[in-house]
Amino acid sequence: MKKLQILGTGCPKCKKLAENTEAAAKAAGIEYELEKVTDINEIMKMGVMMTPALAVDGEIKVVGKVPDADAIKPMLQ
Amino acid sequence: MSDCCGTPKPTNEASCCCGSDAEKIVLLYACSGGANVGEISDKAARELMFEGKGTMFCLAGLGGDIQGMVQTARDADVNLVIDGCPMDCAKKAFDRHGITNYTQIKVTDLGIEKVKGVRCTDEQVGQVVTVAREKLAEQTV
Repeated sequence: MKKLQILGTGCPKCKKLAENTEAAAKAAGIEYELEKVTDINEIMKMGVMMTPALAVDGEIKVVGKVPDADAIKPMLQ
Repeated sequence: MSDCCGTPKPTNEASCCCGSDAEKIVLLYACSGGANVGEISDKAARELMFEGKGTMFCLAGLGGDIQGMVQTARDADVNLVIDGCPMDCAKKAFDRHGITNYTQIKVTDLGIEKVKGVRCTDEQVGQVVTVAREKLAEQTV
């Protein structure tokens, strides 16, 4: 089970990143749990100073960008 | 998060990048070393940040292998690296992580001598800021 975390306070780009990440996980047939991390202190503890960001099993994969589902897919492997 | 959906402003909090897609992410790194040229690099980076040219980030985050900060540098559109002297410490921090999307300024290349125990001047900082503005203008068109 992959732990996918969307770091951001809920702006439109954060929501779009969550949508694209879910789409990528479903397309790849990956079992996942999606968590939205909105607490800015928690986000900063992960070394992220710009949002939105995507973490996969605790590793930051994307910062400040919203890749499409195709680009996210390899990050989930 | 105080400045969501706008140009990141100087803040001690994380900044949101949900501005237009055309807005480039510009990060500023200074070697902030102990000699006068390190002080100049630090002050120049802060000046550029307060002008709104970019967001200053912690070079120590790269040196300390903070994974989220390494990825932040990797995903930026422009990383401006200001090194004080030919030791190139800041540049090497980027190289060590295989991050190539940076442009470097070296303070000593501008004719400023590296000296320990001497405060830098506003003119010296201004000299670096001027060069940095030009570099950023080239990078962000």
